[in-house]
Amino acid sequence: MSQSVISRRRRSLAASTHRRSRRSEAMGYAMVAPLLIFILALALYPTVLTTIDAFMHIDALTPPNHFVGFGNFTAIFSNPEIRQSFENTGWYVVFGVGLTLVLGTTFGLLLQRRFRGRGIVLAIVILPWALPGVVEGVIWSWIYDPTFGVLNSVLKSLHLISQYQLFIGTRQIESILLTSLVQVWQITPLATLLVLASLQSIPGEVYEAARVDGASWWQVIRRITLPLIRPGLAIATVEALVLSLNIFDQVYVLNSGATTASSLMSETYFTTFQGLNFGQGYALSLLATVVTVVLSLGALKILYRKVTF
Amino acid sequence: MRRRIAAWARRAAIGLVIAWSLFPVYWALNTSFMTNSEAQSAPTHFLVTRPIFSNYQAIFGAGPQASAAAGGIGRSLVNIIIESGGATLLTLVIAIVGAYAFARLRFRLKNLLFYTVLATLTLPVYATLIPLYRIMSELGLVNTYLGIIFVYASGFMPLAMWIMYNVFLALPPSIEEAAVIDGASMLQTFYRIALPIAKPGIAATAIITFLLGWGQFIFPLVLSSTSSTQPLTVVLASLVGRHVVPYTIINAAAIIAIAVPAVLVFLLNRWIVEGIIAGSVK
Repeated sequence: MSQSVISRRRRSLAASTHRRSRRSEAMGYAMVAPLLIFILALALYPTVLTTIDAFMHIDALTPPNHFVGFGNFTAIFSNPEIRQSFENTGWYVVFGVGLTLVLGTTFGLLLQRRFRGRGIVLAIVILPWALPGVVEGVIWSWIYDPTFGVLNSVLKSLHLISQYQLFIGTRQIESILLTSLVQVWQITPLATLLVLASLQSIPGEVYEAARVDGASWWQVIRRITLPLIRPGLAIATVEALVLSLNIFDQVYVLNSGATTASSLMSETYFTTFQGLNFGQGYALSLLATVVTVVLSLGALKILYRKVTF
Repeated sequence: MRRRIAAWARRAAIGLVIAWSLFPVYWALNTSFMTNSEAQSAPTHFLVTRPIFSNYQAIFGAGPQASAAAGGIGRSLVNIIIESGGATLLTLVIAIVGAYAFARLRFRLKNLLFYTVLATLTLPVYATLIPLYRIMSELGLVNTYLGIIFVYASGFMPLAMWIMYNVFLALPPSIEEAAVIDGASMLQTFYRIALPIAKPGIAATAIITFLLGWGQFIFPLVLSSTSSTQPLTVVLASLVGRHVVPYTIINAAAIIAIAVPAVLVFLLNRWIVEGIIAGSVK
């Protein structure tokens, strides 16, 4: 008797939660629908289009569009200007990742200990990260200016150069390094913060133990600090890798359409929107997307190992 | 003695860090107060002694240096505010509603849909750039605010959703449960209870989204060929090296473009530090 009452009660409860969950089910779909429509229409659908159209001949100047297999890819690999942009992008990655990690780690170690005014210093250090890349390109282009730039003026008064230089546009590596430096200026704050966050998670006893054992300042950094901040450095590396592979704003402003310091992204833009060769633009885009995703996942896998104390 | 030297070395190094971070901005600020002849004269004026404001006035179509090209910068300032602001509003409304459903409701395809949205966070610009241009030109949305706002919003939504999802998850569920027991409907609970408590998180998401919009370049470059919708970033880039507008005015415009994010960084410093770290570690 009591048993059946309980089971009946249970059944009605189940029915009401069922009704409730059905309603919540419909409500759930309704609430995420607008978000999904935007994502499907303006992120996933375009990605699918890029993937398909990379294998199509799409040229506004020579219609009609048709399937060409790997034709676009062989075309971009045999184009010397595009090949140079591959090489340049390699340099952008080397400079971008290398300089960002060195500066970010150094800044992080310097700002680790508390001191008066640390909050303001941190805000100043973060500032370049918050500014638009284009605007940074603009203000640095004035610094690099060949006729009135402050860099020329300073180097000349230090007698490091005998006459004013055209820094960007003639010599390949120099142009790339100086363009990359503007991006490094922008993304170093991110690396600094990641290093700071990892440093804060290292327990103080580890340092004390090292000091008791008579370790030198450099030994502490090499043997203790750097291995322990590895996860932070791993994320900083991947961020710097993706950002430098995708460098565009700084290149566009400082180098415009010249091949000297062109990047994968600037080449994609100029091939597509100035050359109107959409097929090759798609092939470049697909290539860059795949390289970006593969390299960043690979780097993360190699570098990211959990650190335990 | 050695310790004192080390302390001084540290202070000097921190001074260098500050100089590295601030000098380019200082230099733009300094130049923006110069006359054209001061900017072009050697030796370099490292500190302007008699600052002038006509470079800024020209952007707003006033003063002795006003010109059509300088006035175009003013127009682009209006555009960037409309586009970043519009994208922020659209992103917030849609991402907040979606995030709440993902955080609090149960429905069958929830996980699949959730990870689909999140996965688009990893898509680089290349993946969508050219098709988005073609879609927008087929829809007749090139050179319109709406086109730019739609493209921005679709790019910002995954991040905004992710931040708001975590904000809602961190709210104590007991408050919302109490409201449900008192007979409030799901929508009432969302609107009257969850949203007001989540206000700080919403403000944070709004600021991040606005700054993302403020920094956009390649999408508006592709999606706006005329000055009617070009934001400040696109117009600034188009002026470099052209000698249509003197560098003093370009630097004044750059300072305006810098001012908005800079003010936010200095006001919200502590919060941004935590946000960046949380956002990139997760």
